Amino acid sequence: MNKKTGSGILLLATILMAMYLWRVLKPAEKVDFSADIKPILNKNCIACHGGVKKNSGLSFLFEAEAMGVAESGKSAIIPGNGSGSELIRRLREEDPELRMPYQKPKLSDAEIELLERWIDQGAEWGEHWAYTLPEKVPLPVVSQEAGFSTGTASPFLKNDIDLFVLARMEGQPLRPNAEAPPNIIARRLALDLTGLPPDQNLFDAFTTSEITYETYVDTLLAQSGYGEKWASWWLDLARYADTKGYEKDLGRSMWPYRDWVIRALNQDMPYDQFTTEQLAGDLLPDPSVDQLIATAFHRNTMNNDEGGTDDEEFRVATVIDRTNTTFEVWQSTTIGCVQCHSHPYDPIKHEEYYNAMAFFNNSRDEDTPGEEPNVRMYGPEVQKEVDQINTWVAEHGNAKTAKAYKNFLTHMEPKYQLHNCEEFTNGELADTKWLALWNKGSALLKNVYTNNASAMYLSYWSGNNGSKITIRKDDAKGEILSQFTIDKTNGRVIEKVPFKKTNGKIDLYIEAQNNAIAPETATSFMVWAAFLEDLPGMGKPGYKAMENTFLKVLNTKVPEFPIVVENPEYMQRTTQMFERGNWQLKSDTVEVKTPAVLNAWEVAWPKNRLGLAQWITSDQNPLTARTLVNRVWHQLFGRGIVATIEDMGTQSDPPSHPALLDWLALRLMNEHAWSMKALIKDIVMSGTYRQSSATDAATYQIDPENQWYARGPRQRLGAEQIRDQALAVSGLLSDKMYGPGVMPPQPEKVWQSVYSGEQWVESKGEDKFRRAVYTYLKRTSPYPSFITFDAGSREVCTIRRTVTNTPLQALVTLNDPVYLEAAYHLALKMQALDIDRGIAFGYEKATFTKIAPEKLEILRRLYETSLSEFQSNAATKKAFPNFGKDKSPHLAALTVVANAIMNLDEFLSKA
Amino acid sequence: MDNMERLIKEKIRRELEAQTRRHFIKQCASGMGGLALGSFFLGCDPLKNEQKGMKMAFSDRDLNPLATMAPPFDSKVKNIIYLHMAGAPSQLEMFDYKPELRKLHDQPCPQSLLEGKKFAFIRGTPKLLGPQAEFSQVGESGHWVSDNLPHFKKVIDEVAFLKAVHTDQFNHGPAQLFMHTGSPRLGRPSIGSWVTYGLGSENQNLPGFVVLTSGGKTPDAGKSVWGSGFLPSVYQGVQCRSQGDPVLYIEDPEGISRNLKKQTIDAINQINKDEYAKYADPEILARINQYEMAYRMQIAVPEVMNINNEPEHIKQMYGVEPGKESFANNCLLARKLVEQGVRFVQLFDWGWDSHGTDHDNAVDLGLRNKCREIDRPMTALLLDLKQRGLLEETLVVWGGEFGRTPMQENREGKKMGFKGRDHHGDAFTMWMAGGGIKKGASHGQTDAIGFAGVDGRVSVHDIHATILHVLGFDHEQFTFEFQGRPFRLTDVEGAVIKEILA
Repeated sequence: MNKKTGSGILLLATILMAMYLWRVLKPAEKVDFSADIKPILNKNCIACHGGVKKNSGLSFLFEAEAMGVAESGKSAIIPGNGSGSELIRRLREEDPELRMPYQKPKLSDAEIELLERWIDQGAEWGEHWAYTLPEKVPLPVVSQEAGFSTGTASPFLKNDIDLFVLARMEGQPLRPNAEAPPNIIARRLALDLTGLPPDQNLFDAFTTSEITYETYVDTLLAQSGYGEKWASWWLDLARYADTKGYEKDLGRSMWPYRDWVIRALNQDMPYDQFTTEQLAGDLLPDPSVDQLIATAFHRNTMNNDEGGTDDEEFRVATVIDRTNTTFEVWQSTTIGCVQCHSHPYDPIKHEEYYNAMAFFNNSRDEDTPGEEPNVRMYGPEVQKEVDQINTWVAEHGNAKTAKAYKNFLTHMEPKYQLHNCEEFTNGELADTKWLALWNKGSALLKNVYTNNASAMYLSYWSGNNGSKITIRKDDAKGEILSQFTIDKTNGRVIEKVPFKKTNGKIDLYIEAQNNAIAPETATSFMVWAAFLEDLPGMGKPGYKAMENTFLKVLNTKVPEFPIVVENPEYMQRTTQMFERGNWQLKSDTVEVKTPAVLNAWEVAWPKNRLGLAQWITSDQNPLTARTLVNRVWHQLFGRGIVATIEDMGTQSDPPSHPALLDWLALRLMNEHAWSMKALIKDIVMSGTYRQSSATDAATYQIDPENQWYARGPRQRLGAEQIRDQALAVSGLLSDKMYGPGVMPPQPEKVWQSVYSGEQWVESKGEDKFRRAVYTYLKRTSPYPSFITFDAGSREVCTIRRTVTNTPLQALVTLNDPVYLEAAYHLALKMQALDIDRGIAFGYEKATFTKIAPEKLEILRRLYETSLSEFQSNAATKKAFPNFGKDKSPHLAALTVVANAIMNLDEFLSKA
Repeated sequence: MDNMERLIKEKIRRELEAQTRRHFIKQCASGMGGLALGSFFLGCDPLKNEQKGMKMAFSDRDLNPLATMAPPFDSKVKNIIYLHMAGAPSQLEMFDYKPELRKLHDQPCPQSLLEGKKFAFIRGTPKLLGPQAEFSQVGESGHWVSDNLPHFKKVIDEVAFLKAVHTDQFNHGPAQLFMHTGSPRLGRPSIGSWVTYGLGSENQNLPGFVVLTSGGKTPDAGKSVWGSGFLPSVYQGVQCRSQGDPVLYIEDPEGISRNLKKQTIDAINQINKDEYAKYADPEILARINQYEMAYRMQIAVPEVMNINNEPEHIKQMYGVEPGKESFANNCLLARKLVEQGVRFVQLFDWGWDSHGTDHDNAVDLGLRNKCREIDRPMTALLLDLKQRGLLEETLVVWGGEFGRTPMQENREGKKMGFKGRDHHGDAFTMWMAGGGIKKGASHGQTDAIGFAGVDGRVSVHDIHATILHVLGFDHEQFTFEFQGRPFRLTDVEGAVIKEILA
């Protein structure tokens, strides 16, 4: 090794060591619990004395436990008396049988010293930054402007963000990079804000200074592409997919939710409202259809249709997923571990997990194959009838009845799913899904509130005529409440059968009789039953017709989309804790409550999901705004201010720029009223963002992760962007928005669904070329090239896509017909010009950069090689490219060049 | 900037970078012993371009993160084949013979064993379930093996058993993550990634770390069990399909010759090198290498993944089913891959979760079929490696993510229709064979009913420490700096299991 470097490193190490020792040993300095003590405890003690294990009755997870009396009868920590504390004594113990950490290396003297000093100073148990509110911070005063001469305004300083960044850069061998050239920043902005390369006119207007940087940013933020781009990020969090997941993985209609996200982002719906509608849209007063669609955020959970699976087990699985996802998405908190035990590191207790889960345990969905509840989307004709019914009920009934009818027409809830039947005689739960009674069969549906209704709505289908159904109160000898005959149906029907008015909760004993059918065959398959209060206005002219219209509307097949609907009071479930996270091992009953370590619950909030949304969006919640700021920052810079974007807490990295994080969080809430566009605009307007990402190896090595932002962000584009960009520059991209997922070309036999007959049917026309956000996503077999570029299968919430760099990616962009077709279409545009100008045009079209002579030279050579090969080889020239009619060697060679351009790192990355 | 100037700049920059790198290696090497620095910098440069005269001081690892590196300690062992039975196979029907358990069959499990224990599905007081297979002692080593594995008996003297492995995870996903990454939570690199990072690959035309799955499903924990965690992504496992195209888009479009593809990639990479000069982003170098590798993979992968060309007797030996996805095919592929110099081959076979809820997962029925599916191929694998002289340079590891209870599972406290065993992390069996491993050894013992290890208990970290040791690493020194601290595969634990080393 170079001697000079060696001694330099030695010197550096000595200085660092001295700094460390000084920080640690400075006697007067008050010890910071969060920064100095908690990490030592977490690293060395908590594995045995923490949330999972509490050896000797001692835990260092919570203050009360750490200060309390252990099994020995003593406290480990005596505040004010370090040397007298058992903790310190055991750390210094020489006998390895007694020394802690047990059977591990002794802690360093410096660490023990630190702990002792902390106890001497009173052993104050500090709060972690993540659980305290963002602090109002003054803007940093930058003394040297990191090497820029004072007096003249630094070109780096564009807004207040830059002051925070510069302040952290000071004292390091770093200084801000120059501003990126206009063409580079124009492309970076367009890709970051809309996921697409810039429109040529807009690009020209900006690069010729016809419009300002800010106008350029505003224009991009106003484009509909903005919502489509940022939706991919949110849909990862929301685990949005077009299939139900698990083994069968059948299709489902969730796309209106995806469209809702795109619209909400484009309209810049404030994040608090965006949050509330998704978590509790159904609980808002008189929710709109859009607000109901928004609740599908939590219907993106998987749904298990596999025969033999217990619907309740998978209902519980969705409730757990909703709990975990809510905390991961809004609170940067991985709460899942607490399901089984108190969190080993974060101060969230075992019971608190179930308190949180209780918020999600009272929705109507029960893992049924029909995915009820679904919002019903009526066409204009039927909608007229729906309106008539609603008007009638409003006119003749009270507000409660009006609401009940309106709800039932909207989503057909509340209803009782008959998979909850038990005590079967001569009958079964067909495929563990539907009530199937044989001749002389019976089953019991417990705890039913019949709403004093004189009719029951029953959904069923049957292949037999003449099955007599009797429903009795409570048991086989009970009073007959209803008796009717079921005949063969053409598919599923909803029938209205008379029912004896009863009050209160009863058990329904359901019997079937049909001597004419073979033994052990189902008289019918019953899906659900509902008890709706009687239609008001009896005796009024038109009553009968209105009743008929109602039933007809219910039986009208219309598009339906899963939503969340809360249980009415009489259907409320109690929530119990599970032992070790096992849903079958239920223990204590718990109430809805949020973790004590976070903000306090306000009395005015309803104790349901709506209250939870209010708690999350309260300006007293320390994590919501910070989480959003951190994740948006990560989207733009490829790194979070807290690098562990999944987690903010005692296990997370400390923020690289704590003051900036808090400043942005407060600004988002107080000045921007939760506007995401305003947050994004703040960041991209900064000088920090506008820097060039070009650097040299030595500078790069100082901060390889770019955590101090002495250069602009440079990352490979995301899966969706790579495809969208290829289609955009070749002119193939369709700008059609919304609607069901599309199926662009993918290789044969990628879908191998054993249990479902569902197939990948290649989309026609412009649907082949829609933006990637509209591509059909089958969870067990996502679109292959997206997976290769690190998109996920969206079975659960994905906070971060790990960016990889693999040969398989090269194979996609080189060989996937989608990319070849894009190359061909770019080549078509290149061929109008002479060779050099054509190549330069293609390159510039793709990269928004003028081609350098040596690059042109390289590409021209590739063109020439290709051309001579296509000319000399008659067989190949017919085969390539496999699009369009023109098979000239010239066009084929240009296609090869275009394919090469679209494989350049500068094309696949934003610089 | 003209070419010469660029080259000079590049050289200066390279030297600067090399210093940093040497410093890094020095740090590692000081603890790692005789790491041959030279191997880092010498060797062929796969990207050298004679035409442009760009013979630069690119180190192998910069241009090719999979360039071969010698381990710090001498080792003959170059490759690993890791056979993971996903779902957790029952040691009590395969290797851990417990005659006492047979005598106690159907007796209630003693309370003393249940106190303070929790199980995934067992409730109340379960009954003990005697071994659901016959056992015999075989080979010179006299190991007990069940009749579920008749072929395996032939190679019993090649392997070393670990009879008292334990884990603290009792659900599949976390336990698989733990077994393969040393942590039950997401985010750590898998063993295969560590090994490929540490040793590179012998074959630059194939991925260094290949994953093959069978049994109809991928592991519960998903692709993270072969993920690279915080290591560079190039070290993650590449899943190859044993039916259909082994890797999607591996075929060139019709009409594009190999030469033209080469010219295309050369052009792309030349331009990317310019880009690197401007941005100094190592991802660009990695991409250059990935394109080279993609080109070579296009030939090498279809070749190596094609088992049709193997001689008939070899196919029969493994019991392969060409065109299907099977453990047998994967075992043969594993041999072919290590023969070609692939560093780490990871096989996952799904379907070992013998709860006894139906025929397929009953320990006396479905488990027998699963054993039959692996018995012949894994035996053939050992024999085939041996006859080719590859066994000495290959470590073969077999195991699951945990074991199964000596008690019969009683879901919801009820007797179930089939015989099954619940998840059990306290004691289970794994085996290793091949280079560096003591033939015929057996380490560790469980109690009379196989509930817990009473002697020679080894942890998941110990397994990892041993694997790394066999490959020539000291697991305590083999670290990667991430988020301000050095990380190891074995975290802060692990001890080499010397008892099974040759």
